[in-house]
Amino acid sequence: MRPFEHLTVQAADEAIQALAGGDGGNTRLIAGGTDLLPLLKDGLVNPGRLIDIKPARALRHLTFDADGSLRIGALTTLAEIERSSQLAERLPLLRQSVVDAATPQLRAMATVGGNLLQRSRCWYFRGPFDCWLKGGTVCYMRDGENKYAAIFDQGPCRSAHPSDLAPALVALDATVSISGPAGSRTTPVAEFLAPPTNDERVEYRLRPDEMVTEIRIPAEAIAGHGVYLKAMDRRAWAFALVGAAAQVTILDGKVARARLVFSAVANVPWRATAAEALLVGQTLTPDLAAQAADAAIAGASPLAHNGYKVPLARELARRAILAAANLWTETN
Amino acid sequence: MPIRIVTTHLEFEGQVEEVRVVLEGEEPPAWGPDTPFQVVGKPTARVDARERVTGAAEYSYDVQLPGMLTAAGLRSPHPHARISRLDASSALAVPGVRAVYSHLNAGDFINPSSGKPVFGNELLYHGDLVALVVAETPEQAREATRAIDVAYEPLPFVTAPDAALAANAPMVNTAVPSNTISDEYPQVYQRGDVEAALAQAEVTIETRMETPAALHNSLETHGGAASWDGSRLTVWSSTQGVFGARQQAAAALGLPMTAVQVITQYMGGGFGSKLGVHRSGLLAAYASRQLGLPVKYMLDRTEENLDAGNRPPSVQAYRLGAAKDGTLAALDLAVIHNVGANGLWSSPVALPAKELYQCANVRTTDRAARTNLGTLAAFRAPGVVEGIAGLEVAIDALATELGMDSLELRRKNFAERYQLLDRPYARKMLLDCYRIGAERIGWETRDAEERRYPGGRSGHLRRGIGMASQLWGGDGGPPAQAIAKLLPDGTAVIITGTQDIGTGTRTVLAQIAAEELGYPLERVRVELGETAHGVFSPMSGGSMTLASVGPAVRMAAVEARKELTEVIGQLAEAPADALDIRNATVFNRETGAEMGGVSTYLEQLGGHEITAKGMRGPNAEDVTVRTFGAQFAEVEVDIGTGAVRVVRIVAVHDCGRIINPLTYSSQIEGGIIQGLGFALTEQRIVDERLGMVMNPNLGDYKAPTIRDIPQIDIVLLNEPNVVANTLGVLGAGEPPIIPTPGAIANAVGHALGKTVTRLPLTPDRVLDMLSTTTERS
Repeated sequence: MRPFEHLTVQAADEAIQALAGGDGGNTRLIAGGTDLLPLLKDGLVNPGRLIDIKPARALRHLTFDADGSLRIGALTTLAEIERSSQLAERLPLLRQSVVDAATPQLRAMATVGGNLLQRSRCWYFRGPFDCWLKGGTVCYMRDGENKYAAIFDQGPCRSAHPSDLAPALVALDATVSISGPAGSRTTPVAEFLAPPTNDERVEYRLRPDEMVTEIRIPAEAIAGHGVYLKAMDRRAWAFALVGAAAQVTILDGKVARARLVFSAVANVPWRATAAEALLVGQTLTPDLAAQAADAAIAGASPLAHNGYKVPLARELARRAILAAANLWTETN
Repeated sequence: MPIRIVTTHLEFEGQVEEVRVVLEGEEPPAWGPDTPFQVVGKPTARVDARERVTGAAEYSYDVQLPGMLTAAGLRSPHPHARISRLDASSALAVPGVRAVYSHLNAGDFINPSSGKPVFGNELLYHGDLVALVVAETPEQAREATRAIDVAYEPLPFVTAPDAALAANAPMVNTAVPSNTISDEYPQVYQRGDVEAALAQAEVTIETRMETPAALHNSLETHGGAASWDGSRLTVWSSTQGVFGARQQAAAALGLPMTAVQVITQYMGGGFGSKLGVHRSGLLAAYASRQLGLPVKYMLDRTEENLDAGNRPPSVQAYRLGAAKDGTLAALDLAVIHNVGANGLWSSPVALPAKELYQCANVRTTDRAARTNLGTLAAFRAPGVVEGIAGLEVAIDALATELGMDSLELRRKNFAERYQLLDRPYARKMLLDCYRIGAERIGWETRDAEERRYPGGRSGHLRRGIGMASQLWGGDGGPPAQAIAKLLPDGTAVIITGTQDIGTGTRTVLAQIAAEELGYPLERVRVELGETAHGVFSPMSGGSMTLASVGPAVRMAAVEARKELTEVIGQLAEAPADALDIRNATVFNRETGAEMGGVSTYLEQLGGHEITAKGMRGPNAEDVTVRTFGAQFAEVEVDIGTGAVRVVRIVAVHDCGRIINPLTYSSQIEGGIIQGLGFALTEQRIVDERLGMVMNPNLGDYKAPTIRDIPQIDIVLLNEPNVVANTLGVLGAGEPPIIPTPGAIANAVGHALGKTVTRLPLTPDRVLDMLSTTTERS
């Protein structure tokens, strides 16, 4: 780890000011640090200055507004989402998405804002390889040890998005509030997270002088019911092999709104719109769920070692759709 | 005491060697099955539990001396390369940096274990040592490794063992003309005529087992702290053997052994990978001597997982032949070992095939390949964990082919005698282990519909029950010494040269001494982990510590107590043999009179301390001592996701007398958990195109977590083995890991109706098995 300057701010506007003087990414914000510290130690980022924003208490809250929508401050920890009895009751999908994320120690530090900004877990990205995502020319994952790779092709990089929370937020039509020197803007999480491109080799769209301040979830999404199912290769402290977030609203016996979003199958959370379309307007049955699950994986192009993710994604999708409608039992 | 020089035999991990030892005096008679005990056999919390849980215990990692410098290693980013340029000037300019060592300035520093330079200019694997930086702080040292300017000339490499043994394979090391260990390979063992027996057998099967490279991941990494004071070297080494470490450090630095002291008070796991001082410890010693200041070099986690050894990958191919009634007629095993870049030996993967079942026609063939990967190290029952998994899965497959219950097949082929030397076992309780384990797990109902399909046949859950057998040495042997000192204040000190590698050695040795002295446990202090006392003990490996050192401690305590009663008898004018000592209080056995505490007498001796020696006697000849056991596993497989959950493990092992049921259970649980990791989650992953290790860290190398751990049901047989040694104990360090992977593999095979061919059984493998492998009935 290279030496760096460290300072502390008390509020978002102070952080924006400090970023403005930070010349082209040399200044980075640090909150929980659960991803930034490993990146620093591995030399993947080398900022000259770190600004600690943890004391900005105003960014740490979970608030249900009068209109039924939810606002989550960017510094809210995953542990706070996990412990919220209000969320457990009104938005089980969101709570479920974090309970198997990382470990209790990491969840106590990790923040919602940081979760959306975490970098790829691809071992070619993290390890001593000059991979495309780090500015090289080759995605080593494509022909290499790719059991954890994406099964949907979104561009030059084959790394799979690691977040459990992000697919849940996409399934809830969440938006992210961003502050910068020119003021604030709001963008859907589904657009904020975007596959890396030649010009922007990163999985999110945030300028170096901006910061994430809040997540908002609209009331219409909260009205439904949902689950997050996560397959892991051990029973704790593992990134998803595949995760499936489903949020379904049923009105008069028919599906009125459906969202199905995967983690770990693409560069960013993968929304299975074809599956959603099959469900809307229909009575949800096990057969329909199976058809939707088939549709959800259409177009997958697995590599040499991640073919298992296709049936795994299909199965988790089927179970998640049924569970969101309280139709899943051990014998389905 | 009369002195004798005796020749005896010692078995260490499948190898029997002849040793000559010096013995003084006579060991006391063995504790019999009916010996009454006050301290031994009682569940006893560790005597150092408080230090361990409060952080007061000082591990090598914690040693901090005034002025101490820290070292960090620069590691090869190539599987095989030559260093074409190395310029350390920028690194030396980093503030705080004191030295940078490489082949350019330290090429004459030889590792005595291999006879080769520690720094070479040909790097043989990802993680091989390029250079070492020594600086005032760990951060400075680590940062300065990045400032070293190195140019590498990549060389052809090979990582797959069959490719390494093929004609025209790239040479793993250009200085060595062959990729096999030596011309002793392939190693072939045979008895009878396997091919003829297979040709005539009524039933034959073939199975295959591929096991991964497993990394020890000791929580305390390898390394040490060293301090050279101008004439003497002290090394705080994270080692399983202080005497071996002393020998290596002295040889490496060209010092007499008397000028070197090695200390290991607490050790954070070794599992066989810390049998010496490791080159990290040697480097700390080298740098300390060069710089005249204390130096610490503990590997970081990445270095640990690239350069501290591994359980090497094995590929095992079995051919079994049997009569229709299940009588085993032929057993053929071919093993390919991948021993890494500098491997000098291969693991006894074939040991179970040679010995576990009665079979007249057996052939095992071991081929061993060096590859451009990190070198193997002993890892808790090296080879036998893998070999049991392969053999026991093959036996289950044979049982399926025969339409027989697999446990019945095992009983039918029970080996009464040790077939390799055609002599008896001292004791073999394997059939008892089968019976008890089968009863506990409910073997009889393993095929019941409601048990196999917890959610019904249309549900996604399948349960299976499987088992595997365990065999191991663990009888230890000489030389092992101990000294007992009875101090005037009524406390006792036991001094041995063993080390407590985390297993509870301090505690069980204190129990043994307290028992024989008639002292309460808290009045006995055990000093160990220091060569300076000169009280030799073997390394803590091969499950031999308790069975070697325990009898020596017992003898020292018995001798000390004899002297104590003699002294008290003279002071109290009472016959010594009428005196009894209980709870450090003296009683007249004849009159029943209480005669006061032992200190009342010892304080009258003008500072004299009663000092007595004990030593481990020779091993029994013409008999094979073994521990046997069995584990039974129940698993639940989600056939939709490929997830395997181990529900329960029943562990029945004959480890002789149990000195401390608590530390014994810790060993069994730890072994099972480590074995579960080998079966389900742990594997070093190598990109074969690049020759690089992808997961040298604790995030991507997946050891089991608390949530992965099943219910563990431990059966205490607690039957003293009076042939083995005067305590009747056998080692328990390695036995518990041996059958776990095989039992889990057979349980998964039972759940899915298929034969497992590869470990670990990760979800992707299970899903692949479900979609590809043909069903068995």
